[in-house]
Amino acid sequence: MELEVVKAELVLPTHLSFKQIQMYEKYPKGQSRGRHWKHLKQILQAENHQNHPPDEPNYVNIESPPSMHPCKRICDITGYEAPYYDPRTNLRYANADVFKLVRSLPKEYVQSYLALRNAAVVLK
Amino acid sequence: MLLVPSCWTLGERVTVSLSLSLSLSQSLRALARARILYKERNPNSPIQKKKKMPFISKIERQSDYHLFPSTTPIVIDNGASYFRIGWAGEAEPRVIFRNIVQRPRHKATGETVTIVGDHDPALLRYFDCTRSGPRSAFDSNVVYQFEIMEYILDFAFDRLGANGSRIDHPVLITECVCNPVQSRSKMAELLFETYGVPSVAFGVDAAFSYKYNQQLGVCAKDGLALCPGFTTTHVIPFIDGEPVYKGSCRTNIGGYHITDYLKQLLSLKYPQHMARFTWEKVEDLKMEHCYIAQDYFSEVRLFQKGDKEAEDKTRCWQLPWIPPPTEEPPSEEEIARKAAIKERQGQRLREMAEAKRSSRINELENELHGLEFLLQQLEHVEEHNIPSFLSETGYVSKQEIESAVQKVTQSLRKAKGEPKGDQAEAEEKTDPATNERFPLINIPDNMLTPEQLKEKRRQLFLKTTSEGRQRAKQKRFESELERERKNQQDEEKRLENPELYLEQLRAKYKDLSEKVEQRKRLKTNGNHTNGNNFSGGVGRGERLNAAQRERMRLLTTAAFDRGKGEDTFGARDEDWQLYKLMSKDNDDDDEGLDQDEAEMARLSSRLQEIDPTFVPKLEIVTSQPIEVPRLRPLTKEDFQILLGVERFRCPEILFRPNWIAVDQAGLDEMTGISIRRLSPVGQEVEERLTNSIFITGGSCLFPGMSKRLVAGIRMIRPCGSPIRVVKASDPVLDAWRGAAAYATAPQFLTQTFSRTDYYEKGEDWLRRYQLRYTL
Repeated sequence: MELEVVKAELVLPTHLSFKQIQMYEKYPKGQSRGRHWKHLKQILQAENHQNHPPDEPNYVNIESPPSMHPCKRICDITGYEAPYYDPRTNLRYANADVFKLVRSLPKEYVQSYLALRNAAVVLK
Repeated sequence: MLLVPSCWTLGERVTVSLSLSLSLSQSLRALARARILYKERNPNSPIQKKKKMPFISKIERQSDYHLFPSTTPIVIDNGASYFRIGWAGEAEPRVIFRNIVQRPRHKATGETVTIVGDHDPALLRYFDCTRSGPRSAFDSNVVYQFEIMEYILDFAFDRLGANGSRIDHPVLITECVCNPVQSRSKMAELLFETYGVPSVAFGVDAAFSYKYNQQLGVCAKDGLALCPGFTTTHVIPFIDGEPVYKGSCRTNIGGYHITDYLKQLLSLKYPQHMARFTWEKVEDLKMEHCYIAQDYFSEVRLFQKGDKEAEDKTRCWQLPWIPPPTEEPPSEEEIARKAAIKERQGQRLREMAEAKRSSRINELENELHGLEFLLQQLEHVEEHNIPSFLSETGYVSKQEIESAVQKVTQSLRKAKGEPKGDQAEAEEKTDPATNERFPLINIPDNMLTPEQLKEKRRQLFLKTTSEGRQRAKQKRFESELERERKNQQDEEKRLENPELYLEQLRAKYKDLSEKVEQRKRLKTNGNHTNGNNFSGGVGRGERLNAAQRERMRLLTTAAFDRGKGEDTFGARDEDWQLYKLMSKDNDDDDEGLDQDEAEMARLSSRLQEIDPTFVPKLEIVTSQPIEVPRLRPLTKEDFQILLGVERFRCPEILFRPNWIAVDQAGLDEMTGISIRRLSPVGQEVEERLTNSIFITGGSCLFPGMSKRLVAGIRMIRPCGSPIRVVKASDPVLDAWRGAAAYATAPQFLTQTFSRTDYYEKGEDWLRRYQLRYTL
């Protein structure tokens, strides 16, 4: 190791005295490490919610419902208030100048702007 | 390199120059560290309300681990953004670092190492980080990757100074609200099995923060805790000092989403600087410049109008930029020297040309002499001997020799450099020569032999072509004269009335440019649609331009004319003439455009010469929203990044998650939902709750948050109910401080559970395990 790396103690040492089982014993090299961790969705599915009383708060229960307020739309590009949207590209725009810009954007930019609000066309 | 000035006041145009070197952020961090130390020593003195403290990492190894008896709990605040660990009873956590892990390969040795937290990128150049990005143990706010969690805990305990055979202290660790039991049990298992911890307690960070501030008197026994965090935002009601999770509410929006949104907006707006917008940099920008507008749409209208106020609110980030070295005007000696060199080169070239010319003249003269000699000899030879005599020399008849002589004399004259008038003469001379060359034309047909007829046809053809060429030349000459005359007229007009002339030119230019633009627009709208195409018609349903429409019309009428049922198009030769019509249409269109463009170019060059204020209309190169015209060198402005609307557009998503397509309620609505979810508690309790609305968490540091919340909550509560919003004394560290204060209480150990408890009582008990916060 280079001197400054050692001095800065950048790297985690492999053997730590206070651990009962060291990392290299727990996860021996060569095995697929960590691919078996369940993601949040799977964890939540595994929680058997039917068995528990429904009015007990749990991770899924306390999620907020969709908003009741009417959604105010803003222009995708400038952030101004946008009463209009372009049917060809599905982008919202605020006035004629922005519209010119919208029509002149190449495809990648259009899709990126739409992806900001999760409206991009996703090909599976 | 400028240090950041310490106060921003509206109404002052402040231009910030941030250099991108890490040293600046390090110096900022040093400043922040100094502030923390100051606060530690004088805990009650309010520090001047500065914008925001950037988060800092403290990772020095502590050396006093052995001083703490094994009853002292270790307190861990396991947040999605930062991990804080320290001893119970202290005011500050000992070790703070970002909750991420990287596993790059060391370049020299090839082994894979683990690096926890964020580090100086300069040191990371020894590692190959291409295949290992920073990874977090969290998915939303729940820990799911326990291998990474283990690395983090390793690092944390190591830096805390642990050196025994096990961690022999009770551990209080924070988790999210209503943590799924799997995550909880795996965490407990990790702590018990791998670290040998005797007892563990789990708590919610927002609750600890609330309790701590309750003791400080900031909030009351009953209240609502709003906690916008890194990945999620919670609202938890507190009644009698205990959190009521039944009424709590969670939206999956946090500081991470704000930073991500800002990063994407900036990258799209300034694609040429996309590489500069790293996550860390954007987070710094967010903490420096973002604020929450009182009313989003009125702020935005300010910017739309382009007021001076809007300009004041726009921050400008100047990227480091080196102007290209200006060439100094060459000094006198330089000019003289260069001129001398050029002169010498010119001289050399002229000499060479002279030498060539004289040699060529010599050659030609020799040839001429030879030919003349031949002619003379020919005089002496008899008629019938001519062919045999001449066969040696290569000429067939006397005329050929004479014409050769003429040619040579001509070129000799040219070589000697006589004026062009003679050349015109010579050309005219060729005219009678050509007439002589076509002797057979004038003789009528019936008097000639078949070969002579053929000869005559050839001569006729040659004559017509040469006549045509002359006519074309004449026309060109005339048009040249015409243009000269027009230019003269133009010049006169300009001299007599420059302003009017300029006006006319400009008007003409404008008309032309509009025409060209319109034609182009029709063309591109027909051929290039960027996005959704609706089906129907030609190919992919693109709108047809005039030429294509004409084509379709011709084809369909041709097919129609034949009559129904039978398609006999093509049986007759004349049918195919149709295609001749079609292709001509296409050409016309393009030609017209070219002519107009040429005219426009000419006009624009004229205007550029004489009009100082004229700016040629550049083609709208459609690749970027911000154009970088390559015609002029890049200036300072191209390297400036303006943050205007983005400053308050990004934090606004806390209140309107719909803008990121997260279909949940925003912060102000969540309070209403939370109050509603509590089973009917009565008007009075509700009023007490809204009277003490407490905000904590890193993302609540945006300026303008409190006012906005008051306005938002007032809209959903009945009129006249008391609303009071208080901010935590230190939103970032209060959770840890609260936990530390909690752990010092003597009854703390009754709230923990030990390893035996964990194994005996099983999962169900673990699920129902909740901390009791008032001891």
